Amino acid sequence: MCVWKILFIFASSLNSAVVGEKIFKIRRGLDLPVAGSAEPVVEPFAAARYCIRPSDFRWMKVQLLAHEGDVLQVGDPLFADKRDARVRICSPVAGTLRQIVRGEKRCIRALVIEPDEKQRTSRDVEIPFRLQDANAWQVREVLLQYGLWPALRQRPFSIIANPDDMPRAIFVSCFDSAPLAPDFRVLLQDCEPEWLEGIRVLQSSCPGIPIHLGLRSGSDNSLFEATEGVRLHYFHGPHPAGNVGTQIDFIAPMEKGDVVWYIHPQHVVWMGRLFLHHLLSSERRVAITGPAESHPRYVSTTFGADLDSLLAPDPQGRAVRNIGGNLLTGILLDEFPAAGFYDTQITRILEGGQREFLGWLLPGLKKWSRSHTYTAWMSRRHFPFTTSMQGGERALVMSDVYDDVFPMDFLPAELLKACIAKDVEKMEELGIYSVDSEDFALCEVVCPSKMPWQQIIEEALYYIHDNK
Amino acid sequence: MAALFGKGKPLHAFQALFDAVDTFLLTPSSVTRNGCHVRDAVDMKRIMITVMFALCPALLFGWWNVGYQHFLSAGVDPAFWPAFGYGFLQWLPMAVVVYAVGLGIEVCFAQWRGHEVAEGFFVTGFLIPMIMPPDVPLWILAVATAFSVVFAKEVFGGTGYNFLNPAIVARVFVFFAYPSVISGDKVWIAHPGMSDAVSGATPLAMESVAQIPSNWDLFVGAIPGCIGETCKIAILMGALLLAFTKVADWRIMLSVMVGGVAMAALFNAVGMTEVPVLTQLLMGGFLFGAVFMATDPVTAAHTRAGKYVYGLLVGLVAIMIRVLNKGYVEGMMLAILLMNIMAPLIDYCVVQIHIRRRKRRITQSKHEKV
Repeated sequence: MCVWKILFIFASSLNSAVVGEKIFKIRRGLDLPVAGSAEPVVEPFAAARYCIRPSDFRWMKVQLLAHEGDVLQVGDPLFADKRDARVRICSPVAGTLRQIVRGEKRCIRALVIEPDEKQRTSRDVEIPFRLQDANAWQVREVLLQYGLWPALRQRPFSIIANPDDMPRAIFVSCFDSAPLAPDFRVLLQDCEPEWLEGIRVLQSSCPGIPIHLGLRSGSDNSLFEATEGVRLHYFHGPHPAGNVGTQIDFIAPMEKGDVVWYIHPQHVVWMGRLFLHHLLSSERRVAITGPAESHPRYVSTTFGADLDSLLAPDPQGRAVRNIGGNLLTGILLDEFPAAGFYDTQITRILEGGQREFLGWLLPGLKKWSRSHTYTAWMSRRHFPFTTSMQGGERALVMSDVYDDVFPMDFLPAELLKACIAKDVEKMEELGIYSVDSEDFALCEVVCPSKMPWQQIIEEALYYIHDNK
Repeated sequence: MAALFGKGKPLHAFQALFDAVDTFLLTPSSVTRNGCHVRDAVDMKRIMITVMFALCPALLFGWWNVGYQHFLSAGVDPAFWPAFGYGFLQWLPMAVVVYAVGLGIEVCFAQWRGHEVAEGFFVTGFLIPMIMPPDVPLWILAVATAFSVVFAKEVFGGTGYNFLNPAIVARVFVFFAYPSVISGDKVWIAHPGMSDAVSGATPLAMESVAQIPSNWDLFVGAIPGCIGETCKIAILMGALLLAFTKVADWRIMLSVMVGGVAMAALFNAVGMTEVPVLTQLLMGGFLFGAVFMATDPVTAAHTRAGKYVYGLLVGLVAIMIRVLNKGYVEGMMLAILLMNIMAPLIDYCVVQIHIRRRKRRITQSKHEKV
């Protein structure tokens, strides 16, 4: 057994992160060479309609609280979670609920709201206590009442946090490392008081629970460093350094039974705004990015705003895919091109699917590949990414390419196999509870077998959740 | 045209074949839907073609060497092009038979299962003629290929699900089922002539160290042997390409070498063999096996730590078989096959250690927080 241990320690010494002076250096990962980051220009935007998609909220069973034709104020409840009716999603805008669009098996695809003439996206509210005097349950009740609770999500499962839980810790990733990710300095510009108040709201709702902020080492973190009562952790390296799953695993790895919460800084600002200014507003910034966007920029709007008028067609008439979120984890926007509740980014990319004669044999000078089987390694330029699958789906053959893009202390291929086999015990032992499908996005990108890694992981998580 | 091959259409029975030819000629038109919207350009076809490129130097040299050995044994002065052409013509029917039989079976299974034809056999079919004696009867080659494709791969689910390397299974099948065609003095030369001027035995079969060619001759490879295994320079070129493109894991290649050196040195130290360490590595199919066979990502250990152990044991066992059992002179194929069987066990141990270590890390992390 001793030999095993020595060999294992040797292999582990090549591990992806070293801890020293509070900086986690991540070596295994990948930044896609794709063009189209947003310029730091923020434009205000008033949408002609708002589309709220229940599918933004993972596995939520929808219980409608509003009906077609209802006149809504900002913060009026639209629907709740059947499992816990306290968890509600509220209208981001004042207007009329024009349509409830249903899909297969009558599932609700979207609630379409037509804003009123004044385009009101905020409302003054009464909060009957001072934050410093309030107990955790009072604070949570206000967040639930005004539809801000869904901003808090939990691991395991990446679902909306249970309002009755007390988590082990709260994690806030203060940078996004995904391709073409928005700059948090732009997202949170002029929001310092609200941010600080928002953190106090979190502290009041979970007294004594540590709040961990994950920061990008070497960038301007003055806003976050000014926050009191939180623990700062610095991360250095490529994506997925900014994923909250990565940060959880490096800071405080989880096991079965642990629950941690996480939240996006923009949502912290929403909470701060509510308690500091008594203003209910889901105003936030969204980056419109991508190689198929001629004018990458930020827009200031609310969640659910239909961005269709902003998304200009390709000048050369090519098909463009609009993605709600980033290239790795976003959802395909078709009928309702609105930024979802958790999205801070829209990515636009050309549709692929063009067939190429003997494409697997040619040098492929314009093809990007992390492996050295194409010539991309010689170039540092951006590549013309499209949505082409670039191959057919096969069984898992190359078992180790995933380790190079997966920084956490995991065996990704082994976990995937356990997920495919629905071997819950093995999944638990291999750490399924602290990860989400997004953590495996890079494995999916580089997979030569073109396996749907994220789908497999999400289905496995659902299987565990459903059979609990 | 594709519509003719759809379900319920007249040519549906040939859909797998149509898909294989279609995606061979043109890249698939499929696009991503959910999950990642962009994908790496590498796919299984690209990986397999890279392995075939890596095998090319050894194959080209093999063509020449087959002809060279033939003319040499016939007592004829071996000129370059005639030797090359002779070797090529010797290899061509072998390749045709292997691909016809193997791909035929693969296509049938793919059609039966409703899958696409996997690319794994392109490499397997490339490897099989390279590790056979140049004179092996074609019907034996066909039977061996059919046996390996069906019983080493398809019964388990096809490429990606097999736990034994199909090319090695084909060779082992011939070795045990038809020992006369793969052992003895003369089998390693194609249609040897009657001249006694040149010995036809492979270095492995030579009992006295003095008979073994010099290390330089072994390295260059103009000696009798399988088509692909003799030239170590060509194999090293392939190894460089595979390691650089990350198609094969350098960790396995390195650890096989380390295992081989360790075992050869041990046997030398205790006086069980007089063959020097370097000669052991250069003889027979050791290097070819280390570079092209042991690194098969499906049948090797899958975990990174496991790969070191797997490679090390392949090297150790190969030399052990070679030295201790004179009957099985080519220990490499048996060592790889044995370790193919052991690889899941190695992975199991690595995963268990990982799980235990992970638990310890979590406990430690919680303790620190308190």
